[in-house]
Amino acid sequence: MLRSVSARIAAVTLVAAGGVIVIFTLFFVAERNLRSANNATTRAADVSSVGLTLRASVTQLDSAFRAALRERNGTTLADWHRAAAAWHQPGERLAVIVQRPGDVQHVHEIETLINQYVDDYGNPVLGIAQFSPSTAKSADVSEEGRLRIAQITKRIDSITGAAARSAALRSRHADGFANRVTEAGLAALIITPLLLLFGGVWLMRAVARPLGAVVSAASSVAAGDFEVHLDEDDRRDEFGALARAFNRMTSALKTNREELVTRAQRLEESERRKSELISIVSHEVRTPLASILGFARLLLERDLTQDEQRAYLRIIDDEATRLASLVSDFLDIRLLEDRRFPLRAIELDIRPIVVDQAERMLARHPEHTLVTAVGAEPVLVVGDEQRLTQVVINLLSNAEKFSPSDGRIRVGVSRTAAGVRVFVEDEGPGIPPEHADEVFEPFFRGDAAAAGIAGAGIGLALCRRIIEAHGGRIGFENLRPGARFWFELPAEGLVPEDDRLPDAAHV
Amino acid sequence: MAAETLRPLILICDDERPLRELVKAALGGAYRYEEAADTLEAERILEQDRPALVVLDVMLPGKSGLELLEELRGRPETADIPVVIISAWHGEYEVTALGSGANAFLGKPFDPDELADTVERLVAA
Repeated sequence: MLRSVSARIAAVTLVAAGGVIVIFTLFFVAERNLRSANNATTRAADVSSVGLTLRASVTQLDSAFRAALRERNGTTLADWHRAAAAWHQPGERLAVIVQRPGDVQHVHEIETLINQYVDDYGNPVLGIAQFSPSTAKSADVSEEGRLRIAQITKRIDSITGAAARSAALRSRHADGFANRVTEAGLAALIITPLLLLFGGVWLMRAVARPLGAVVSAASSVAAGDFEVHLDEDDRRDEFGALARAFNRMTSALKTNREELVTRAQRLEESERRKSELISIVSHEVRTPLASILGFARLLLERDLTQDEQRAYLRIIDDEATRLASLVSDFLDIRLLEDRRFPLRAIELDIRPIVVDQAERMLARHPEHTLVTAVGAEPVLVVGDEQRLTQVVINLLSNAEKFSPSDGRIRVGVSRTAAGVRVFVEDEGPGIPPEHADEVFEPFFRGDAAAAGIAGAGIGLALCRRIIEAHGGRIGFENLRPGARFWFELPAEGLVPEDDRLPDAAHV
Repeated sequence: MAAETLRPLILICDDERPLRELVKAALGGAYRYEEAADTLEAERILEQDRPALVVLDVMLPGKSGLELLEELRGRPETADIPVVIISAWHGEYEVTALGSGANAFLGKPFDPDELADTVERLVAA
C-alpha cells in the first residue's frame, strides 16, 4: 500500500501516462505494419507484371524462332535477333525487384536458360536449317525447343506465383495484426479512463476523508473544544503528520487554557479572600471593642464598687491586649511576604509562655477544660519571645475556636532528639484531608466561615513563617476526635543576640 | 429564696465571656442570669428553664444564633420569648434577624444603657 498522498498522486499520474503511451505505441505499430504490408503487395504486383512481360518476351522468342525456321529470310531472322535481345530488359528488371536472395538466383538461372536457348538451341538449329532443313525441322529438335521454352515459362510462373502468394500472406498477416493491435488500442482506450477514475476515487479517499476530519476538528477547536483528537496511529502519510501536529496543538492550547483558568481562579479566590478578610477584620475588631467600650461606659456612668471597677478594668485590659495582638497580626501579614524576618533571639524557657497563655485562654473561655503537660525542668530554647508567644496564642486560639464548649484542650512541652517540641490538642472536628495542604496558607479558612467560627485565616500562616524563621518545623495530626498542632525548634538553632560578637557578620 | 425566683431570668448566649460579663454588668442586679457559650448549651438550658428574655449573638460555634432564633419561634412554648440579637455584623444580619422574629437588634459595640432599656421594656411588656 502506498503510504503518502504524494506517492498516490505519482502512481495515478504514472497510470495515466502509461495508458497514453501504450495506446499511441499500439496505433503506431499497427500503422507501420499495414504500410509495410502495402509496400510488399505493391512490390509483388510489380514482380507479377515484370514476370508477365518476361514471359511474353520468351513467347515472342519462341514464335520468332518458329517463324525463322519455317521461312528463312532476312525479315524472320531479323525478328529472331530482335527477340533474342528483347528479353534482357524485363529479365534484369525482375532480378532487381525480387526480394528474396533465392529468387534473385532463380532469375539468374532463368536468364541462363534463355541464353542457353538462344545460344545452344535457337542459333545452332537455325544454322543447321541452312544445310539440312529436314534435320532442323525434325520432331526431336522441335520437341527439345518446346521443352526448353516450357521449362523457362514454368520457372517464371513459379517466381511470379510465389511473389503473389507471399504478398497475399503478408497482407493477411498485416490485416490480422492490425486488427489485434486496434482491439488492444481500443481496450487500452477504455481501460485507461477507468483506471484514472479508480485512481481518482482512491486519491479522494486518501485526501478528502482525512481532510474532512481535519476541517471538522478545526471547527471544534474554533468553537473552544480542545478535547478533539485526530486519529494518528494507523496513518503514516502527510495526514498522519498533520494529525500529530494538530493533536500537539490542541493539547498545547488545552494546557494554556487550563493554566489561564487556574490563574484566573487563583486571582478570583484571592480577591474573595481579601473581601472576606475586610469583613472579618471589622468583626474581629468589633468584638473586643464592644467589651472595652461597654465596660468603659459602665465605669464612667455607674456607681460601682471597687471590686467591680477592678474586675471591669481587668476585662478592658485583657480585651485591649487582645485587640493589640489582633492588630499586630494584621500588620504582620506583610511579614508573610517579607524574606527578611527580623527576630530578637534570646535564650528562654518555653514553659511559662505556654502555661501563661493557656491560662489566659481558659480565663476568657472557662467552658473549656485545660490540661498542661510541661514538666518541672526548664526547657530552654533560643528564640524571639514575642514571636514564639504569638505562635502559642494563635495555636491556643484555634484550639479554643474549634473546640466544643466543654472541650478539653491539652498543651504540652517536651524535649526530643532534634530539640524542643510544643503541642496543642483540641477536640474539634479536625482538619479534613482535602485541606491538609492549605491550613498554613495565608487567608485560608477552610470550613470555619460555614461553622460560624471567626478568624482571618492569618494565624497559622504567621505561625509557620515564625517557626521556619527559627529553623524549626510546624505541623499537625488529626486525632479522633480533634487535632494536634505542634511545632519543633532545633536544639542548636539561632545564636542568642547577647552572645553574638558586635561585628560577627563581617568576620 | 422567694425574692430570687421573682427576678426575671435572662439567658445570655455569646461565645465571648467578656461580652457575657458586659451584658450582666449592663443589666445589673435586677435579673437572674444563665450563660451559654454556644447554641447547644443554650438549647439545654431552654429545655429546663423558661427565660424572660434571650440575649443572643449571631456568630457562634456550631449552629448560629439566627438558626436558634428560628427554632425558638417555630416552637409554641418558646415562640413568645423576647429575643435581643447582638452582633458585630451590622446591617447584614439586622434585616434577617428582625425578619426571623427578633424583638431588637443591637450592633457591637453597643451602649450598655441602650441594652438595659431595651431589655427592661421587653421584659415588662
